[in-house]
Amino acid sequence: MLLALMKKELLALSRDLHGLAALFLMPTLFIIIMSLALKEVYNPPVKSISYVVEDRDGTELSHALLSQWQERHGKPQEQSSDWRQQLRNGSLGYALIIEPGFTLALFEQNLAEQGIQLRLLTDPGMESGAFAATRAELLMVASGLRGRALFSSAPTTQQVSGDTTDLSAEKLIEAERLSAGTHPTSVQQNVPAWLVFGMFFVVASIAGLFVEERQCGALARLATLGVSTRMLILSKALPYLGINAIQSALMLAVGVWLIPLLGGEALSLAGVHWGALLLVLLAVSLAAIGLALTLASVVRTQTQAAAVGPIINVVMAAIGGVMVPKFVMPDFMQRIAELSPMNWGLEGVLAVLLRGGELVEVWRPAAKLGGFALLMFITAALLFRRREL
Amino acid sequence: MLSIRDLVFRYPHSERPALAGVSFDIQRGEVLGLLGPNGAGKTTLIAHLSGALPVQQGEITLDGEPLATVRRKDPTRIAIAPQEYAFYPMLTVHENLACFAAAARLSGARKQQRIEASLAFAQLERYARTRAAHLSGGLKRRLNLAIALLPEPEMVLLDEPTVGVDPQSRAFLLDAVRTLAQYGTTLLYTSHYMEEIEAIAKHVVIIDDGKVLSAGTLDDLLREETPQVRLSVDALSPEGVQPLLARFGRVESVGTEWLVKLLAGETPARLLSAIEAAGGKVRHASFGRGNLEQLFMMLTHRSLRD
Repeated sequence: MLLALMKKELLALSRDLHGLAALFLMPTLFIIIMSLALKEVYNPPVKSISYVVEDRDGTELSHALLSQWQERHGKPQEQSSDWRQQLRNGSLGYALIIEPGFTLALFEQNLAEQGIQLRLLTDPGMESGAFAATRAELLMVASGLRGRALFSSAPTTQQVSGDTTDLSAEKLIEAERLSAGTHPTSVQQNVPAWLVFGMFFVVASIAGLFVEERQCGALARLATLGVSTRMLILSKALPYLGINAIQSALMLAVGVWLIPLLGGEALSLAGVHWGALLLVLLAVSLAAIGLALTLASVVRTQTQAAAVGPIINVVMAAIGGVMVPKFVMPDFMQRIAELSPMNWGLEGVLAVLLRGGELVEVWRPAAKLGGFALLMFITAALLFRRREL
Repeated sequence: MLSIRDLVFRYPHSERPALAGVSFDIQRGEVLGLLGPNGAGKTTLIAHLSGALPVQQGEITLDGEPLATVRRKDPTRIAIAPQEYAFYPMLTVHENLACFAAAARLSGARKQQRIEASLAFAQLERYARTRAAHLSGGLKRRLNLAIALLPEPEMVLLDEPTVGVDPQSRAFLLDAVRTLAQYGTTLLYTSHYMEEIEAIAKHVVIIDDGKVLSAGTLDDLLREETPQVRLSVDALSPEGVQPLLARFGRVESVGTEWLVKLLAGETPARLLSAIEAAGGKVRHASFGRGNLEQLFMMLTHRSLRD
């Protein structure tokens, strides 16, 4: 009996292609995506984050520092006049600025009055781990140079002692994210990612209900009453636009009010351009609803909707920089990430919440999402009409 | 009058047409029973009438106007109560009615009045606030009918409306159909229960393989060319009954019953007397009118279809 019941179980599973896909395809896809996306995190690359340098010191030691940095991080980008803008909009990872007094300061026993001589300015969206690692590496290189400088200038080794001389160059270094009035925190970076991810989760709800309506005949009945495809699609899109709006408000509220109550830093909405934020969120919502309607027109059963919807969401999130920040991915994965609508949404929301972006900074991701939404709505309408026959 | 002429329909990638030249008429206020085995083309025909399928070949007209034109002007003149429960299980009875009433372009006081009238007609007032998912099979069928009646259609297509319901609900639904017919609603009723069709339909169309096999009034279809007696006999072995009956005509065994097509000059009275004289006991006998099930089985050749 046990064998017969087990055979039944395996037969049922073998005939549920979508269930099998969830069991085998999803973990396989995840292994591929995550391994490729995180490849350079565990195997640090020479070039991972783009940077520029500004050497205002122009001495042998400043050249030595840049040379060591180049060995570790590859060649810097050509410095352009708008590198600050590039940092703000995330197209540049960081900038190293060596101030004119850098070399002289390295030789000073007492660093307290030397001021900041080495600046690390990063993209406001740089992930905390990467930020801390870059800063620590800069400190290490600078401290090494300081040590060499002090030893080479001292007549005897006794004159350079860790007890009396600060060997660390920490006091000379300042690292900051180039923010636009918003202090970047983990909540400031996490809310955009999970907000976009959450908004795309309407895909499963819409597709599930749509399939149920079709299976029970309610949709066919609406059609016999003369309800047009356009009206049906609109009647689904508008409520879910509202639901996405409530989701967004809720998640922003959690960041602003709940996280501080739990001991974290609050999400700051100070200086946020609300028009730009609303535009991006509207575009994300339309893209998610369009994708849901297309999926609903393609799948045939509730099981398919329940399996395929979350798979698409999770894969888009894994590819699109929600689970793994895009900038830690290798170049080719970054190109792939740029194909994910979730990434367009994420870039748009990050541009507003982290980089203080205005309409001009978000129109591009919003337009991509809008175009995607339009394509999905048209596809859904065509598929839906075809299904009616 | 609804008129169907030479209707042909072939589904994509299908070798055989689902409808192969179907023609018949339905008069206003008539109850027409549509019979056919599974896969005969009934659902395809109903899908045409409800506007779910376009006419590929042939013609469907309502009062002389093409059905597509009629539906464009007013899609609610013909309503359907489909085989499946075509409503939202997560909504209450009243919410379902309100949703479909709005879809049928009813609004304001008229909408409210039609919702109340439909609730009353289907005797669902007590369940107005019950979620449709929690209704029994019979109540679901009644809700299905109530939704169809919301826009006061001229014609209602009832696709196997009594499947899976208890005898009380079935009786209620059949009474409801009679009431609708009395008020002048045209009804096209499909069912596999022949006695239901015999009970409510004046006209019957039997289709199979996408073709009309027989169409006409129920009386005409069941009128017997040759008088026949259908009976069951106790207290005699089948071997004893068969030769006895054969003296009066051609004998067929139909389940536990016998069907005797009487020879010219023989009468049912003489047949029954002969059985009693031989020691047999007539448990049941009928004659004078054929049986729709027999006619159906004869026309569709009894073979299993699924």
